[in-house]
Amino acid sequence: MPRRNSEADVVIVGMGAAGGVAALPLARAGLRVVGLEAGTWLDRRDFVPDEIRNNVRDWPFIVKKTQQERPTVRNNASQTASQVGGHPMMNAVGGTSIHYWAQSWRLNPWDFRVVSETVRRYGGSRIPAGSTVEDWPLDYDELEPFYDLVEREVGISGKAGNIRGELDRRGNPFEGPRAREYPMPPLRWTAFLEGMADSARSLGWNPFPGPAAINTEIYEGRPGCVYHGHCNKGGCHVDAKSATYVTTIPKALETGNLTVIPRAHVTTIEVDGDGRVTGANYVIGNDEYFQPAKVVLLAGYTYENVRMLLLSSSRAYPDGLSNNHGQVGRHYMSHHQGAGVSALFPFDLSSWYGLPAQGVAVDEWADDNFDHSNLPFIGGGNLWVYSDRRPIGAANMSTYGRGPNWGSAWKSFIRENADRSVSSYIQKTTLPYETNVLDLDPTAKDSLGLPVIRITASYRENELRIAAYLQDKMEQWYREAGAVEVSRGGLGNTMGVTTHAYGGTRMGDDMETNVVDRWGFSHEAGNLGVLGASVMGTSGARNPTLTAQALSWRTAQHLVDAWGEIAG
Amino acid sequence: MADDKSEKKISKISRRELLRSAGLAGAAAFLPAGVHGLAEGEGEILPDEISTATAKQASRSALPQNLTAEETEILDAMVARLIPDDEHGPGAREAGAVGYIDRELGGALSSSREAYRAGLLALDRYSEYSREARFVALTEKDQDSVLFDLQTGGATGAGAGFLGSSAAFFNMVRGHTWEATFGDPIYGGNKDFVGWDLIRYPGPRSAVSPDDQRRLEQGELEPLRRSAYD
Amino acid sequence: MRISSLAGLIGASIALVAPSSDALGQAPQGFIVRSPTMRTGEMIPRDYAPDGRNLSPPITWESLPAGTRQIAVICQDHGAGNPPPWVHWIIYNIPGSATGLPEGVPFDPTEPMPPGIAGAVQGNNSWGLPMYRGPAPPGGSLHHYHFVVYALDTELNLPPGLDRAQLLEAIDGHVIGQGDLMPIYERIPMPEPREWQGGPLPEVWPEPEFDPFDL
Repeated sequence: MPRRNSEADVVIVGMGAAGGVAALPLARAGLRVVGLEAGTWLDRRDFVPDEIRNNVRDWPFIVKKTQQERPTVRNNASQTASQVGGHPMMNAVGGTSIHYWAQSWRLNPWDFRVVSETVRRYGGSRIPAGSTVEDWPLDYDELEPFYDLVEREVGISGKAGNIRGELDRRGNPFEGPRAREYPMPPLRWTAFLEGMADSARSLGWNPFPGPAAINTEIYEGRPGCVYHGHCNKGGCHVDAKSATYVTTIPKALETGNLTVIPRAHVTTIEVDGDGRVTGANYVIGNDEYFQPAKVVLLAGYTYENVRMLLLSSSRAYPDGLSNNHGQVGRHYMSHHQGAGVSALFPFDLSSWYGLPAQGVAVDEWADDNFDHSNLPFIGGGNLWVYSDRRPIGAANMSTYGRGPNWGSAWKSFIRENADRSVSSYIQKTTLPYETNVLDLDPTAKDSLGLPVIRITASYRENELRIAAYLQDKMEQWYREAGAVEVSRGGLGNTMGVTTHAYGGTRMGDDMETNVVDRWGFSHEAGNLGVLGASVMGTSGARNPTLTAQALSWRTAQHLVDAWGEIAG
Repeated sequence: MADDKSEKKISKISRRELLRSAGLAGAAAFLPAGVHGLAEGEGEILPDEISTATAKQASRSALPQNLTAEETEILDAMVARLIPDDEHGPGAREAGAVGYIDRELGGALSSSREAYRAGLLALDRYSEYSREARFVALTEKDQDSVLFDLQTGGATGAGAGFLGSSAAFFNMVRGHTWEATFGDPIYGGNKDFVGWDLIRYPGPRSAVSPDDQRRLEQGELEPLRRSAYD
Repeated sequence: MRISSLAGLIGASIALVAPSSDALGQAPQGFIVRSPTMRTGEMIPRDYAPDGRNLSPPITWESLPAGTRQIAVICQDHGAGNPPPWVHWIIYNIPGSATGLPEGVPFDPTEPMPPGIAGAVQGNNSWGLPMYRGPAPPGGSLHHYHFVVYALDTELNLPPGLDRAQLLEAIDGHVIGQGDLMPIYERIPMPEPREWQGGPLPEVWPEPEFDPFDL
């Protein structure tokens, strides 16, 4: 028999980017919250500017639990899925927000209304065949106050482009109206990034600095970014990165209402005879525990949220918790992050002390910011050129067809060019499709013998056409800035394990096509909430974390407001 | 919760002091990897990383630890062609790449041990077959030609005994040689900062001010020739 | 098919049809391409493959069209690549006065070209390498290796590192003659592996001296 803890009001499964945010409004409202976290506490002294450790050996991901939970991947249902590549999930208090790039975008208004806006502007036939995309049950304006709250409570730097309808071209003129400016100014630009911005302007585009969960000045007692160049896959050695373990989680702990239980590996959610959830089962080492709670909030990574539901089958939910309508695992998508474009310049770029969130964005070719009347796709992508370079990565750069990648001639090449190459990050609209799904793998198991997630997904014509279109735009920008070589990645097709995993527990009013309601609570088990990008029904063209956090806060706030109704 | 935090602090302090007593921490700007909660035997959820302290100690040892003398000789000749010592400065041999690979094959790279054994043997057999001499006995030009045959997969079909493609072996050795040459010197490679000097990397810094960045852009930032762990 | 009919010729091949029309709309003139060591339809000597020294093979040409100012050569395998062909070698900017390519053209770009072909540069083959890499067809299969020599009516000062498509685009309209040679190759199996001579492997890998996880 598992040891039974005393009952909590709310148990949050996963104290990462989403769960770590939701804990704060709950604890502030006086609810007794228990946060179960599979990893441990880390702190700034755990993070070293060591490329071998962080980037070559993937220090953030190499804990055995993460590695043994790697999803399997296949393009389509006729193939056998296999575990390829790593798993970007981090098990620690603060989760993947410890080592993420910390780009903290709001979605654009279009992303909430892809179907109705596309029908309105181009006619219904433009939604690609086989896509299951729906409008969100809320629009941008409804989420805006929560974006605003999270930007302040977490600590986001950036430059507003639209304050209450007033456009400011120093920011993104395509963003939705926001209540006020970011709490901190954006990360600085290098001379090269200034040059890229100038080139964008000469093309008639509007360049702007991207928003980041990284301090740029002292904020709530944490220092500003010191630009040491090891932010990518590294935690911050001065706590300038606004990971939840240094922001919302400590604030929630201060209330005295949050208890974090580290090393708690949750195995299943418990369900009673009425189909209501009663708590979470977890193990620490060989010891089994049960944490009873009036409400359960599932806040793992997208793959783990889906897996937890599918593993938690019961009499009330024979096919997995909250899956009596067969929607768990459906509407899966990830950004098409491949099809990159890199460029070689005839001068040093001085990128050694940059970070992925330090960059220039162009939003002209994202979402529906341009006319698609004569284009064979809907959606688009955000162009992002950034400073992020470390020695081993630089020495492994492409030679742009200028000779071998080793030997004497290469030494001469790399001596000149190690700091002259730059890649771009182009996040592209990805739609959900009927046959892009997550389920349990029939053979691959984790260390506890539980099946891992199987990804069956591929990009379709719409995604590949966006990718090709944006490669042209990116090349145009690089050439304008004086690039002497431009190289394009392949368009790709497999939708593998990714940091940007959406769907699987989609949010929507219709329980026939969605797992959670407009507030993030299960249509079937009313005291079960789901947090994270797994509830998002569209990908947008930018990083998901801030939106996942704003939705988490909103779900938590709704729980506080409707406590009696939800907790029963 | 409070318990957990104080527990963490204690483990940090004791770890720090132990490192200091071992003469490894000193005035470290960055401590090596964190190891919380190990006393409770929860190793399976902690990063199973290499010990930088081990690397530092081991780098003092000149004798091969995991490769045989003959494997070491072949690997040494190979890395000396991958990044040769030439007019652009010292290469991978001088950076200590062989020592790095040899040592890490007993640690972080242990899963590659068999691939090295088979690959180095196959490289030598392939050299004898195609160029009629052991790899170490070939001219530099012929060594380069052999390595291009490995890289392009041309050596694979000769039946020399590569595990899979000769290109996979080549790319593995190249990858580890690059780690050794351009990685932090605490791992025993990048000796005298030859890798960082080659690519004009100005060294690890705990903070880079706007003035530092400007100096970098004007080519006036003095390289810091140090390990991040110094 | 043109290729198979040419394969029947011994020693020399004559291209009868041009791959692309020239600027004047005339078919390029055929000319003779030979090798002192290779013949169309016959096995390429081992030294021009990774089973041997993998040198670039010697090639000669004669009866070039009048007005030939420069030469370009491509070696390709129409039975490989996605899409085909797989390119083994590209060399161009060869002076029109050259009578052929010597054996063993340097693969190191810093090494000077032999005097007879001074000024020649190499393009990127399908491995992305600016050098000759000889035939290595998958086990048991026999492939044809198509050496194509283009006679050009002008001196193009092309940069090194062009791939096949870039070269063909650059010479389009300047090809006044073309000759071919198409020898074959099949891997020569290596004798049975001998025992490893490198000495005994350790029974147990040494334990690290210092384990921080013991702290």
